[in-house]
Amino acid sequence: MAIGDMMMMGSGLMGSVLAQAAPPAAMSDVHLAHYLFVACVMFVIGLIGFLTRRNLIIMFLCTDLMFQAAGVALIAFSRYHLNHTGETFTIVLITVAAAEAAMALALVVLLFRKKESLDAEEWTELKG
Amino acid sequence: MMTLLTNTHGLMHALSGAALAVSDEAGHAAGHASGPVAQTFAAGPMFGLLVVALPLLACILCGLCAMGRVKTKLPAFLTVLCLAGSFLVTLALYLQHHGQPAGTAWIIQGFEWIRLDYRQMVDSVVQSRSFIANFGLYVDSLTCLWMLFVTGLATLIALYASEYMSHDVGQGYNRFFAAFSLFVFSMACLVMADNLVLLYLGWEGVGLCSYLLIGYFYKKPSAVAAAKKAFILNRIGDLGLALGIMLCYVHFGSVEYKVIFEKCAPYMASLAAGQLDQIPLIAQFIPLCLMIGAFGKSAQLPLYVWLPDAMEGPTPVSALIHAATMVTAGVFLIARTYPLFLMSEYALPIVAWVGALTALLAATIGMAQFDIKRIMAYSTVSQLGYMFAGLAVLTSVGGAAHVFTHAFFKAMLFLACGAVMHGFAGQLDLRKLSGVGSMPGWRVVGIAMLVGCLNLAGFPIITAGFWSKDMILGEAFANSQMQAIGWILLLTAGLTAYYTFRVYFRVFVGPKHYEPGDEHHGDDHGHDHGHGHADGHDEGHQTSGKHGFHPHAPGWAINTVLATLAVAAFVIVPLVALNHGGWVKDMVGASSAQFNEKAAYLIAAKGDLHTKFFGFDAHKAMMVVSSIVGLIGIAVAFVLHYQGRTTAATSKADALLPAFGPIAKWAQNKWYVDEFYNAIVRMPLLALAQIFHWFDKLVIDGLVDFFGWTPRGLGGSLRPAQSGEMHTYAVGMAGGLAVMAVVVIVVLM
Amino acid sequence: MFLLGLLAIPLLGAALIAGSPAHAAKRVALAATSIAVALFIPIVAGFDFANNGTMQGGVEYAWLPTLGVKFAVGIDGVSLALLGLTVLLGPICVAASFTAITDRPKTFYAWLLILQAAITGVFCARDLVLFYICFEFTLIPMFILISLYGSTNRAKAAIKFFLYTFTGSLITLAGLVYVAWQHSLKHDGVWNFDIDTLAATARNLPLSTQGWVLLALMAGFAVKVPLFPVHTWLPLAHTEAPTAGSVVLAGTLLKLGTYGLYRFALGYVPGAMAEHAQTIAILCVVGIIYGGLICWVQRDVKKLVAYSSVAHLGFCVLGLVALNQTGITGSVLYMINHGLSTGALFLCIGMIYERFHTRNMAELGGLAARMPVWSTFMVFFAMASVGLPGLNGFVPEFLCLIGSFQADSRWGHGLWGSTTTSMASYGTRGDLGPWLTLIAGTGMIIAAMYLLYMVGRVVWGPLVLPPGFKADDGHGHGHDDSKGSHTAEAEKHDDHGHHSVLPTDLCGREIAILAPLAFLCLALGVYPKILTSSMDLAIDSQVKVLEEKLIERDRTRMGSTTPLVPVPPATKPNEGSGRPSASTIDSRIMVQNAGMQEAGR
Repeated sequence: MAIGDMMMMGSGLMGSVLAQAAPPAAMSDVHLAHYLFVACVMFVIGLIGFLTRRNLIIMFLCTDLMFQAAGVALIAFSRYHLNHTGETFTIVLITVAAAEAAMALALVVLLFRKKESLDAEEWTELKG
Repeated sequence: MMTLLTNTHGLMHALSGAALAVSDEAGHAAGHASGPVAQTFAAGPMFGLLVVALPLLACILCGLCAMGRVKTKLPAFLTVLCLAGSFLVTLALYLQHHGQPAGTAWIIQGFEWIRLDYRQMVDSVVQSRSFIANFGLYVDSLTCLWMLFVTGLATLIALYASEYMSHDVGQGYNRFFAAFSLFVFSMACLVMADNLVLLYLGWEGVGLCSYLLIGYFYKKPSAVAAAKKAFILNRIGDLGLALGIMLCYVHFGSVEYKVIFEKCAPYMASLAAGQLDQIPLIAQFIPLCLMIGAFGKSAQLPLYVWLPDAMEGPTPVSALIHAATMVTAGVFLIARTYPLFLMSEYALPIVAWVGALTALLAATIGMAQFDIKRIMAYSTVSQLGYMFAGLAVLTSVGGAAHVFTHAFFKAMLFLACGAVMHGFAGQLDLRKLSGVGSMPGWRVVGIAMLVGCLNLAGFPIITAGFWSKDMILGEAFANSQMQAIGWILLLTAGLTAYYTFRVYFRVFVGPKHYEPGDEHHGDDHGHDHGHGHADGHDEGHQTSGKHGFHPHAPGWAINTVLATLAVAAFVIVPLVALNHGGWVKDMVGASSAQFNEKAAYLIAAKGDLHTKFFGFDAHKAMMVVSSIVGLIGIAVAFVLHYQGRTTAATSKADALLPAFGPIAKWAQNKWYVDEFYNAIVRMPLLALAQIFHWFDKLVIDGLVDFFGWTPRGLGGSLRPAQSGEMHTYAVGMAGGLAVMAVVVIVVLM
Repeated sequence: MFLLGLLAIPLLGAALIAGSPAHAAKRVALAATSIAVALFIPIVAGFDFANNGTMQGGVEYAWLPTLGVKFAVGIDGVSLALLGLTVLLGPICVAASFTAITDRPKTFYAWLLILQAAITGVFCARDLVLFYICFEFTLIPMFILISLYGSTNRAKAAIKFFLYTFTGSLITLAGLVYVAWQHSLKHDGVWNFDIDTLAATARNLPLSTQGWVLLALMAGFAVKVPLFPVHTWLPLAHTEAPTAGSVVLAGTLLKLGTYGLYRFALGYVPGAMAEHAQTIAILCVVGIIYGGLICWVQRDVKKLVAYSSVAHLGFCVLGLVALNQTGITGSVLYMINHGLSTGALFLCIGMIYERFHTRNMAELGGLAARMPVWSTFMVFFAMASVGLPGLNGFVPEFLCLIGSFQADSRWGHGLWGSTTTSMASYGTRGDLGPWLTLIAGTGMIIAAMYLLYMVGRVVWGPLVLPPGFKADDGHGHGHDDSKGSHTAEAEKHDDHGHHSVLPTDLCGREIAILAPLAFLCLALGVYPKILTSSMDLAIDSQVKVLEEKLIERDRTRMGSTTPLVPVPPATKPNEGSGRPSASTIDSRIMVQNAGMQEAGR
């Protein structure tokens, strides 16, 4: 739960920063491209983490990182187009992510109980 | 039971329908151009159907006996009774037919067996066609001749068998007589059929009975193999016959003799005019096909090998089926369809050569055998060759007369051999028997054997065999095209006289000596072990039966039959001897086997029917020459196998054997014909069958399975992609994303 | 209406079985099939044999009116005969399973009845959709019978049987639907699936199209028959199926293929048939010899008989593609008679399998000594199968061969010197001819070889029994009954403790199963007219169309468009073998073949 809250707080914080920092006028040097670059970096970090790590919890964190990267991109565009749909959608996204985190961590606990390990490679039951 | 009903139904049907069916045909002359006696067709008396029906009745009754598990000699008596009835009916039929004008052919309608009516466009005109094969009888003098000796001998041999088979009383006895009666029924169908398809029914029917009876001792593998061999080799011939029937149908539009003979008439006219090229090739193919059937059934080259093996059957069967009646079916077929055989310039010469070569080959094998029953079998093959040659050198009378006389004396020879076999525990080796004829109780057998041997050897004047053989020889030499055939047959006659009397001098006269066979009852090797005669075993073999074996002299039934046949063999002499063929000539001359001697076949073949034999009339010269040849054969046998012989096992002939080198051994091994056939026909066929079997399994079914496995195989090749590991999937997704990104970028650029 | 009863009774029986206890299943099934037999009697009695070419006893209900699909049944002479075979085999199959099927009898008998209903439906359907539904539906019961009640390799056999025949018949469906579509195109989009109505459309399709339709039809029906080289499912399915399944399979299921060929290949695409008859005939001949030789090296009795079906049905289809009255009549007779004799052989083998649990010829032999009654039947049916005249196998085989022998357009036009002037030709048009028949005829010899080989091994010879059975049962029944003192009675009950239901030799029930078949084999051999006269007009109507197409084909082959003009019959029959002053086509054929005639001389 604590982790989920943290993530929520983190993303909220980022959202507010973006909101302040992205007026259409070129008041500062921060452009849409910068936001998108941040989102992209977040996504790639998450992706690399997901692909390289074997610990289920870390992998889960990485997926959430990718999730939030998508949120950043959504808000950046929302701000860019002066359309609030993206921001609204990000709120939904955050909510869903919270619920999902709760579910996922519960599952991870169950899996851990089965094999006493958090290694993702232990689980290959879907092999064709 | 149901068959009986069907048959009765047929009778009723026939009684009502036959008269109007045939009466309008009466008086229509068919063979007007073909022979001295025109053939006319008329409806025959219905009682003729009894000739066929009575043996069938016997068969059904024997079948009922088998169902009722009868354990007495009842089936034998039923069979003898029915067959005797059949003989009497035949006799009545003959007498009534005899009163008709010569050349009358009666057609007795039974019931419609196969009938198809249809329409067909020929040259834009719709014509009606029909394929008709009735269960109808064709009674002419040839039929009468054949049926008289078939039913007569069948009755006698059934009587003989009632004693001979007595050790099998019970289911085996029932089975034997059922098949025996069925055989007579089939033979009657064969001989009396009014169309080729019904003949084919009889033809295969006798083949079936032959199969069942050769394999009578079914626990003995050799008997089973012999039965199978007989059936299959006959089937090869049957295929030829079937094709001949089809050709007949396609060409003449009918398989009925009446129609065929009528439609042959123009061809006969062409023949008489010397225009053989007027006869289309298709018609000339017919006899070539039919003769294959005849060669199969009558055990001629190249299909003769089944007959010697057929001796595995009980001896009465050998006597009736494999000597007197069934094997003459081929001769009958040719005699019956003689006009067809005259239509081809190749047919009769082929028959002549096949017959002559078979006669010689079988005689050489017969000379070297030791099993007396086998010797008789080979002599049957040889004599059948004679009959074929006889028909083919244009003496259908001689061929038929030889069938007639041969039926009597060969049946007698077999029955005498059977009596020996019955009495000496299956002993058939002529090296182990001697002087049987002078043993107490064996006098009748000895005399019958002597009479039979004299006939077979063609002893001059007093034997019927002499007269019938002489007709064939004389005609062969009289025909300028057939001189070579004549010489082969003459040589064969000498060999025949030798090997016949070899048997007689070794087994029936000379010092008394015997070693019993190893079975209680001759034929049933193999199935009787364990409760056979104890005295047939232990040292019984080596000590000429001194250890308690007593020859078991024949009883009244066997003796009566043998005596009757011995008398009959002399009674029939005038029937074939008087006036160049006598009664048989009248019979054959008024049938379909007649032909006009002036017919153009001879012109076409550039032949001459009155060739001189070294300046003498061939017929008269042959009387003398064949007598001398026969007597020389007998004399050689006398010197080698009788004179001074003191033991059963050896004779003076043994000393001569080295002079022949390996030839004697080859002849004793039947010239390795069986081995040859096995190597060039059976083994390749078996190999082909194995190849097909594996081809089917691997290639054809393999292809099917291949198509079945293709989807599964395709799936299998993609299977590793589904590793079940989360990271693999993730990499796949990332990779896919990357690819999509690259594609998007490329497209956008 | 009786036809509907024939369809409904087995289905009702199946429903009843579903609701009744397991031990009653066989009785219900026997009752249902017997009622079907009884119901068949009024059908025969009401059948107008004088008009056997027209569809009779018909009932018709609208089914899917928008598509023109009807529920229509009716029979002509050919259907009647095949229907009779189906109905007759019903109670026989049920009775043959009494002791063999002990596990899950309800499922078995219910599906057996459903199978019978489906086959009945095929033979009396007058609507293409109904026909096809019944045709395909036979697969499901058969699949279940094989896969649940078969022997060791049953799963593979069932799947192969199902997929193989199903794949083929899907292609057939495409062909049939194509014909229906063509019909709707020509009738303003109105669909119709009446079999006879579609026939008229199909016959008028262009020749190349007909060829494709024929190919589609062959894909399904040839697999079902089965013709070489699409036969490999059959031996496997036969070997693995339970006895009743094998009997139905050989008796009627294979006849669906030949019936389909008769009804659709001949009826729908006669033009293409005339064109390609020779190709099919060659496949038949190959099958006859190939199948026959394979039989000869089999070790499994049942497989031997199964392969013999490949050879036998080669004869059947050969007669069919002779395209003349003789051949087609022979072919239809063959369908009936093969069902009787091969069905009976499977029954005989089933009886042996029930007793000894083996079909291996190395482990069985000389049973005549132990089971004389069974042996009598076995030899009898083997002889019927060999084609012995007087029994049922002969007439059809002979007619098929004569048919193919006749079917040569060159008869009467120079082949082997035959001319219409010297003798009217009794040949018919076609491409088969005597040489093909000769090769096919060797199948008669091969049939004798393999069947006598089997009889010689299993029935005759020294007694051989599989391990675990006491081979020495005294001295046989055949020979030593007279000795009397044996312990035959005592031996009767030894050595089969584990299946004591069955006596050494056949029991009354088994004799009652075989006896009617034996009687029919004999009756149809002695009096085949019962069948031939009840289907002559039906076949005649097919032949008439075929003959037109053959004449047309012969005309185009000669490159002429001259219409056929009736000419006076050829001159006097006795004018020698000179050139006939024949009509247009015929003289051309003759000229074409004149060379052969000369060469032949």
